[in-house]
Amino acid sequence: MGEVRSLMAPLWMYLALGAFLFATGVVGVVSRRNPIVIFMCIELMLNSVNLTFLSLARFAPWLPVAHELEPKAWMGGPAAVIFVMAVAAAEVAVGLGIIMAIFRLRDEVDVDEMNLLRG
Amino acid sequence: MEGIWGAGVAQLAPTQVGGPMLLFAVLAAVAVASGVGVVAFNSPVRSALCLIANFLSLALLYFTLGAEMLGIIQVVVYTGAIMVLFLFVLMLLNLAAPGALRESRDLRRLGAGALAAALFVLVVVQAVLPLQEAASPQAADYYGTPMALGRALFTEYVWPFELASVLLLVGIVGSILLAKRRV
Amino acid sequence: MDPFALIWWIVLLPLGGALVQALFGGAVVRGLGPQNGKKVMGFLAVLPVALSFLLGVAVLQAHLEAGAGTERTVVLAPWIDLAALKVDFAARVDSLSLLMVLVVTGVGALIHLYATGYMAEDRDYTRFFTYMNLFVVYMLVLVTADNLPLLFVGWEGVGLCSYLLIGFWYRDLANAKAANKAFIVNRIGDWGFMLGMFLILVCIAASVPEAQTDGRWLDFGFILPRAATYLADRPELATAIALLLFVGACGKSAQFPLYFWLPDAMAGPTPVSALIHAATMVTAGVYLVSRMHIFYVLSPVASAVVASVGAFTALFAALVAFGQTDIKKVLAYSTVSQLGFMFIACGAGVYWAGMFHVATHAFFKALLFLGSGAVIYAMAHNQDLRNYGNLRKYLPITCWTMFLGYLAIAGVPPLAGFYSKEAILGGALASRHAAASVAVWAGWIGLLTAALTAAYMTRLTVLTFFSGEERWRRLQPAHAHDGHHGHGTEMAVHPEDHSHSAHAPHDHEDPHGFFYTDEELAARAEPEEHHHELEASHEPKEAPPSMTFPLVVLALLSVVGGWGLQHWAGLQEFLQYPGVQLLPKGTIQEHPHGVPLMALSIGAAALGILYGWIVYRRGLPAKEGFDESAWHPFRRWAGRQFGYDDLVVHTGVQGGDLVAKSLWKGFDAGVIDGIANGLGVLACGLGRGLKAIQTGFVRSYALLMLAGAVALLAYMVAVLTRIGGGN
Repeated sequence: MGEVRSLMAPLWMYLALGAFLFATGVVGVVSRRNPIVIFMCIELMLNSVNLTFLSLARFAPWLPVAHELEPKAWMGGPAAVIFVMAVAAAEVAVGLGIIMAIFRLRDEVDVDEMNLLRG
Repeated sequence: MEGIWGAGVAQLAPTQVGGPMLLFAVLAAVAVASGVGVVAFNSPVRSALCLIANFLSLALLYFTLGAEMLGIIQVVVYTGAIMVLFLFVLMLLNLAAPGALRESRDLRRLGAGALAAALFVLVVVQAVLPLQEAASPQAADYYGTPMALGRALFTEYVWPFELASVLLLVGIVGSILLAKRRV
Repeated sequence: MDPFALIWWIVLLPLGGALVQALFGGAVVRGLGPQNGKKVMGFLAVLPVALSFLLGVAVLQAHLEAGAGTERTVVLAPWIDLAALKVDFAARVDSLSLLMVLVVTGVGALIHLYATGYMAEDRDYTRFFTYMNLFVVYMLVLVTADNLPLLFVGWEGVGLCSYLLIGFWYRDLANAKAANKAFIVNRIGDWGFMLGMFLILVCIAASVPEAQTDGRWLDFGFILPRAATYLADRPELATAIALLLFVGACGKSAQFPLYFWLPDAMAGPTPVSALIHAATMVTAGVYLVSRMHIFYVLSPVASAVVASVGAFTALFAALVAFGQTDIKKVLAYSTVSQLGFMFIACGAGVYWAGMFHVATHAFFKALLFLGSGAVIYAMAHNQDLRNYGNLRKYLPITCWTMFLGYLAIAGVPPLAGFYSKEAILGGALASRHAAASVAVWAGWIGLLTAALTAAYMTRLTVLTFFSGEERWRRLQPAHAHDGHHGHGTEMAVHPEDHSHSAHAPHDHEDPHGFFYTDEELAARAEPEEHHHELEASHEPKEAPPSMTFPLVVLALLSVVGGWGLQHWAGLQEFLQYPGVQLLPKGTIQEHPHGVPLMALSIGAAALGILYGWIVYRRGLPAKEGFDESAWHPFRRWAGRQFGYDDLVVHTGVQGGDLVAKSLWKGFDAGVIDGIANGLGVLACGLGRGLKAIQTGFVRSYALLMLAGAVALLAYMVAVLTRIGGGN
């Protein structure tokens, strides 16, 4: 365990990396036309958020919680990561199902063509 | 990005440029490159493969952070399940061919790029720079073990845990419904 | 029982009569058959009015015993009972109101009797008497009211009944229009009356110390004694009140410039013309001025205005009468002229003379109208003078009674008109009132008008009864002049009226088809009764006794009424309003009974009669025949009321139409609808503009969300953390 500790970089590097990956994902969401690629960029963004959560959990000071059984760390970080993963999984399942349904209907997947909700 | 790294390393005296830093640098480089690759490649399959590389590098980063459980979950769930799902769909929809979808160049890309850059700068200025002195981890060493995680999930975060399971159920039902052919 | 309490019986008996006519009339006539049913209902119509007259005589007796100058109030019930204002249903018994009560019920009963004969063949017999009895009720309320609001109730009520009765044969549009005209012009007068009433309320209420009153601001018993003190140093207020009330009197009593409804009102049946537009309703204005005389005494300006308006109207109407060929129209203008005389009296300060003339005028004018009705009845409802002649031979009773009435109006002594006219002229010429010079001028104009009156009345009488030739024998078959109206109109063929009805709705003004076109009206106008038109072989027959009896009675009154009233010593004391003694001496003067005045008035009458006899004794002059282009231009112009009616109607009606249309199209449709529609257009425009955001592009939405998130974040960074003090 002691060696694991020494494999860490300073916090700010993790945060910077997370921010960069998030920005990259945002660019991808807006500029790609293939909905699957858009999804992948969304996953990229979610992962960057996971990284941020974890790194902050690692470096954040511990505040006492009600349950003594709790580890002496801010466990909101890892818990959030678990939940993000669960949500991402469900979202991918449903979203890809939607894309499949649209493809079955229109035989094309291009986000720009799907503008039936225009006003 | 190299500049930031470089600048950061030069400023922080206590940081030792040694094994950990090198490991981080490599992993970060892979993550960055594959992230850009996800966005930039025309072919969706190449984007998917870049994303897999990204996930793996992130998993290793989680290991360096001491969250082993989560790193393994990352590999199993994200790369193992979600990316496989993506690749299946790509195969089924036959969108693998590079020429299938030409991306357009338009103002939206510029706008997105500018806003993303602004976002990055904001976060850096607000979150990263003030936390430059935080170099020593405060968390207990065992915070990443299954026991710790399980404890947290079942005591303090039990409500979101249960809701997440309901969400997964909804996801299952929804995807089955979507996939059904009209009968 | 207290005889003065009978006053409310007098007022309300005809109301019972009206209700009986309205509720049971139709059933009785249907049940007993038209002949007997109408006889019964006719009797029931005359009865209440006659009873009211007898009760009035009883009250008069009690009043005279108690002292002719006294006054008392009989309250029926409270009406308005607030802390700030108290008004009751209160009747005033004094000499002025009793005089009017007797005139209204007496002459009214005779006219009701006459009408039972005149309207005998009319389908709406009971409706007629409902309205007539109702009119009598309202008139009695007007003259017995002890406070201004109740007087106004009667004022409005007689206007309403006048409208109902003028438009009695409403299926003819022209009659309905005449009724409208009367009511609307009356309304203008009512506006003045109301403003005057409010001004009185405000002025006197404003200046009375609280302790003295209990809120009865509008009672005559309150206003009249106190007006002098409260307005003594503010004559302009008295002038304002007096002039506003006079506007009301002008409207009701047909003085210039609000007289022009009266000739058109001849569209109603002749008994209506006799009762309302000769004897009673039109004298309501004179009654009002006499009752509120204190304001006119306090304001010389107002008295001068009253006298000059009266004089001008008298002269104007007398001149117009020369150009009329319809017998009823001549009498209508004669009424306007005589009302002018009454206002000369009021303006000159001799109010008692004005009321004297009201009484005598009621006698002879009702007689003349009823007589003309008998003539019209005998001549198959043809009203044109040019078709009459030598009717003395066929209608003796009518002729000689009307002759007496004619002598009375011409001012021949010792008939009634002579005394009252002399009283007026004498009072005017001898006036030492504060506005004396105007009154004197008015007196001289009155003298001239008396001569003119004698002249045109001679014209009417001679042409109708005494000229040798029976001019209707000259008629071509089926050439009845106003035949195509059927029984519907009793008004003369005045080209003016036809032009009005012909201009009834055009399609471009009536897009919804609300109004009947002329063709539809003609189809709907059922012939009321079948009358044969006046033909050359027509033999006039005298009217039935129900019509001639009132004529005889009224003739008798015309003969002896004036002499009797004049020489009854108590008359001046009776007619002199009690409050007048409170004024300082010297403001009102009796006229001198000197010889020069009598000579002047007799001379004027003689001059007029002579002129009329000379010009008309050989019958209709060639220059006054059916061909109007052969008339003397002055006579033709007079026949058109010197253009006044055209002027008022065109500017008023068309001006009002123009104003209404421009308000409608310009303001209502343009501005208000524009705003309402414009809001809709604005909303649509906004929606259209905002629609541009809804492109349907997912990526654009994502970009916008991103932009929003970045902005929010920047805001938090830039502002909130600064405020929070942290980084």
